[in-house]
Amino acid sequence: MAWQHAASLNSIRDGGVIGVDVDGTPVALYRLHGEIFATHGICTHALALLSEGWVEDGKIECPLHQGQFDIRTGKALCAPLTQDLRTYAVKLEGDDILVDLDRHGEQPVAPPDKADRGAKIDNAAATAATAVIIGAGQTAAAAIRTLRKAGFNGAIDLVGDELHLPYERPPLSKDMLLGRGNLDACTRLSRVDAESLGVRLHLGQQAIAIDPARKQVVLAQDKVLPYDALLIATGGRARRLNIPGSDRPGVLHLRTVEDAAAIDRALASATHVAIVGGGFIGLELASAALSRNVAVTVLEREPEIMMRLLPVPLGRTFRRIAEAHGVDVRRRTDIREITQRGSKLGVVTGQDTIQVDAVLVGIGLEPAIDLAAAAGCATAGGIEVDAEGRTSVPGIWAAGDCALHHVLRDGRRVRLESWHNAEEQGAAAGRSMAGVARDTTAKKPWFWTDQFGLNIQMIGSISASDTVIREGSIDAAAGAIYRTIDRETGLLTGTIAFSAPDAIRQARHELDSSTPFAFDAASAVVLADDTNDPDTSASEITAMNIPLALTKRYVWPQEGLTRIPDWVYTDQTIYEREVEKIFHGRTWNYVALECEIPNPGDYIRSNVGPTPVVVARADDGSINVFENRCAHRAAEFCRELSGNAKEFVCPYHQWSYDLKGNLAGVPFRRGVNGKGGMPADFKTADHGLRKLSVTTHRGVVFASYCETMESFEEYLGPEVLGEFDATFDGRKLKLLGYYRHSLPGNWKLYHENLKDPYHATLLHTFLVTFGLLVAGNRSLMLADPTGRHGVMASAKSDGKAVASDAKKEMRAYREGMTLEEPRFMDFIDEFNSPWSVTMSTVWPNLIVQREMNTLGVRQIVPTGPHEFIMKWTMFGFEGDSEEMTRHRLRQGNLMGPAGFLGLEDNEAIKFVQDGMQRVPNGEHLVKLDPEIEAGTADSLISEAAIRAMYKHWRQEMGL
Amino acid sequence: MQTSAMTKPSLAMSNNDARLADLLLHHEIATFNNRYAAALDELRLTDWTEMFTDDALYVILSRENFDRNLPVGLIYCENKGMIRDRAFALKETAMFAPRYLRHLIANQAVLSETPDGTIVARANYVVLQVLYDRPDATLHQVGVYYDKFRRIDGELKLAERRCVYDNLLVDNALCLPI
Repeated sequence: MAWQHAASLNSIRDGGVIGVDVDGTPVALYRLHGEIFATHGICTHALALLSEGWVEDGKIECPLHQGQFDIRTGKALCAPLTQDLRTYAVKLEGDDILVDLDRHGEQPVAPPDKADRGAKIDNAAATAATAVIIGAGQTAAAAIRTLRKAGFNGAIDLVGDELHLPYERPPLSKDMLLGRGNLDACTRLSRVDAESLGVRLHLGQQAIAIDPARKQVVLAQDKVLPYDALLIATGGRARRLNIPGSDRPGVLHLRTVEDAAAIDRALASATHVAIVGGGFIGLELASAALSRNVAVTVLEREPEIMMRLLPVPLGRTFRRIAEAHGVDVRRRTDIREITQRGSKLGVVTGQDTIQVDAVLVGIGLEPAIDLAAAAGCATAGGIEVDAEGRTSVPGIWAAGDCALHHVLRDGRRVRLESWHNAEEQGAAAGRSMAGVARDTTAKKPWFWTDQFGLNIQMIGSISASDTVIREGSIDAAAGAIYRTIDRETGLLTGTIAFSAPDAIRQARHELDSSTPFAFDAASAVVLADDTNDPDTSASEITAMNIPLALTKRYVWPQEGLTRIPDWVYTDQTIYEREVEKIFHGRTWNYVALECEIPNPGDYIRSNVGPTPVVVARADDGSINVFENRCAHRAAEFCRELSGNAKEFVCPYHQWSYDLKGNLAGVPFRRGVNGKGGMPADFKTADHGLRKLSVTTHRGVVFASYCETMESFEEYLGPEVLGEFDATFDGRKLKLLGYYRHSLPGNWKLYHENLKDPYHATLLHTFLVTFGLLVAGNRSLMLADPTGRHGVMASAKSDGKAVASDAKKEMRAYREGMTLEEPRFMDFIDEFNSPWSVTMSTVWPNLIVQREMNTLGVRQIVPTGPHEFIMKWTMFGFEGDSEEMTRHRLRQGNLMGPAGFLGLEDNEAIKFVQDGMQRVPNGEHLVKLDPEIEAGTADSLISEAAIRAMYKHWRQEMGL
Repeated sequence: MQTSAMTKPSLAMSNNDARLADLLLHHEIATFNNRYAAALDELRLTDWTEMFTDDALYVILSRENFDRNLPVGLIYCENKGMIRDRAFALKETAMFAPRYLRHLIANQAVLSETPDGTIVARANYVVLQVLYDRPDATLHQVGVYYDKFRRIDGELKLAERRCVYDNLLVDNALCLPI
């Protein structure tokens, strides 16, 4: 028990609430007429911060579902709340607000149910009567509480065919599928409640018939329950698909907690599910599936989702949000059959067959009205009731999903399948059954859905034929607010708010207005009713900003790093993201060697990722890297591979740039004869070429789009830097020439090739036969701590050391192979390194090759997911003798696109890409060396460095 | 013709004799190049190696390197031993997809003949490549042979062939000689 500082007094305005953290506990602090109160900061119903709620009349209203608590006592005042809020003692010391987490704010009041039960309403009709309720769901729980509140003192029998105590169903398609919910949390009438409210439970039992004449309910095994008042709250069952194959395992519906558990299990092992029906259940299931990395295809029969329930623009809005998160929504799609092939289901539509792991059906509810109809109650797709829940048969009430709502919509009665309606109708029936007059302050229909990270609330009686207007500029995203207007009367019928609870609160008052909605006054946009998607670009723009992991195609295999899915190498969207996140992201990209541009004015064309840049040495000796794209009309102005220039002039309109990429001149900038030309406020300083950050290390030049890059030394890390510096050992470089080639494979395969010492021992005969890299040689496959860089290192042996059993494993080993020119394979030890060969992969675009005495850097220039260009810059050192240069050139026969090693690697990588393109949608297996999850390996028979690279890649890509 | 005629005034032949000799030499080189192309097109790599002198230089280098006097070559052989090593490796050890090549040699010219009997010549070449699973023949290389021929036992051999290719970007891999 201790007083702890929580906030300062002036941080809360009067009538306001703030959220603070006290010793790890979220606390809400309120200021009511100068007095401070403290409660727990999170709603007892769902995870919502009360500090984001609304303070009114000493009550705090939860922003998510409009539950209200008394701020002073913490008492839960209305549905959906069933549990009071913890309060804390508060005191003021000067300007400091102190809170004691161990003490209540005020004496807690008695639990509401007991208190209410004591305050009986004198009600003769209610005494010694028996109420029977058929259907043990949320409606029943609401009715039971109200019955008792209203002073009903007789017996209550609750009959339910489910074994469970009454529970609410909204969490079944939300928290229950996200590992956050359980049955207890959904229960609306606990065993303790049932006992204290005097409810006799008949769970797991089915009512077979109602005898309205004798006023009794017949259960199975001839058990009979007499009633004075009967409430039918039988709800309904999920509507089934009526097509061939709809009874296959894996075709799942959602109504009960068991159904939710089955869907939960299906999602756990699925990679792709089809959801039939684009309603609220369907979209919530889609949202849950996506957040579990399961791809989703929603199949909707109508031209727009939800169009029977809501106006077309609202259905469109819901659809766009789903699509923006990667849900594939197919409209006008009829499902003909569900087929099975192995563990996969095929959803056969009019267009194609979609292969999925499970089919989740959300096509509505079939109300359970047979019992009521048999008893003589009037039904019309639901049980007809009045505002108090009375059916056409005396002594029988109905409420909830099985009952029609008493208010007409579009001239007809409809069922409102909502949590709120279950609560309201249940309570109305309970009061009426207890003989108490109706509560005329009944609330307006209200509905919420949680999907794709949004809390969406709707209030009012919205009809599908209403006009929809949008308030403000936010569309189909958090903060968007829509209103519906009756076309005939012009009256506001409803408000739909996307994560904007204040709008719902306001709407309560506005909906009472009897004057037509003032279109002109509102900053409103009337939305088109067209189902042909008049504005798809908006949804596409939104789609760019959402995390890729949520989208349908990019689900990493469950096995983790030991599998690499093909889309990593073949997908255009992934490629574009790589350019943005990697090549244009927080990386140092190799662009040139300093020896290529020794003098002021020297320049060379290069690339950062696919983007063409110019690397130029300015008059002050500085090296500058800028995009090879004119700031005026985008022309790639520099066309020579290299050269010397005083300035760069774009040939199209002669805009000129200095050697640092600054705009120097714009022809006719002032126009001619006072006419034309650039605006007066045009500043050349604002229109230079896009410049990149530049760094050099040991004569090697790197560039980055990131302006806050760490030093190159930090970027490489000490181990990889050590190997880099062993090759670039301080001697001045001497350019020997270039190889350039295209390679029809994904650029990452090249990195992998050099993080894959396994292949080197098997593919390359030259390496093996001449002892350059042999299983058993001293070697190392180094990965830096981030996993992005690597060094494959090996010490040459004479080949005689190859054990005979190892030889058998190596296809490439050729006994007795000799060279007519053996000098070619000599290693002249010129480096301060234990390794005769090091291949360093410097993320993302550089390979430093030190293959004995042939030296080079290879620059990766990706051109798309399926191809990259490789530029090799081969070098020696100044001071090399002519014989040493020739030795390097001779040894160069190993390298490049015609090299004994190089051509084999290029071919192998092409084969890999061919395999993925011709047999698509598979996975790669990279399991070698399981003892090292990802990182440095001292065995050549290891793929740990590849796994390390993908650990990094996934992090950078957000996948 | 004019060029080669001007390079041999010392031989003091009659005009007709000189022109005839030029024609014969030109024909001999054309025949050599035809045999060279056929050996490679038919993958007779051992026959191909025997078309070089023991000290032959055989280099395939990009026009970029050639123009800038940079020596790096895709294939860089300083003698017949290395040429044989290359042929052996391609036949016996190298892994690459099977393919057909077609060498077309044209614009052949004898540039000069030095007193030691070396004939300096050049020719344009085009090499087409066909992979088994594609319908199209791709233009694999287009370039110039810069040649030096010498007679060994009366027979023309290449003492130097520098294949200088114009298409700087090699299509994936150059697996067979040019």
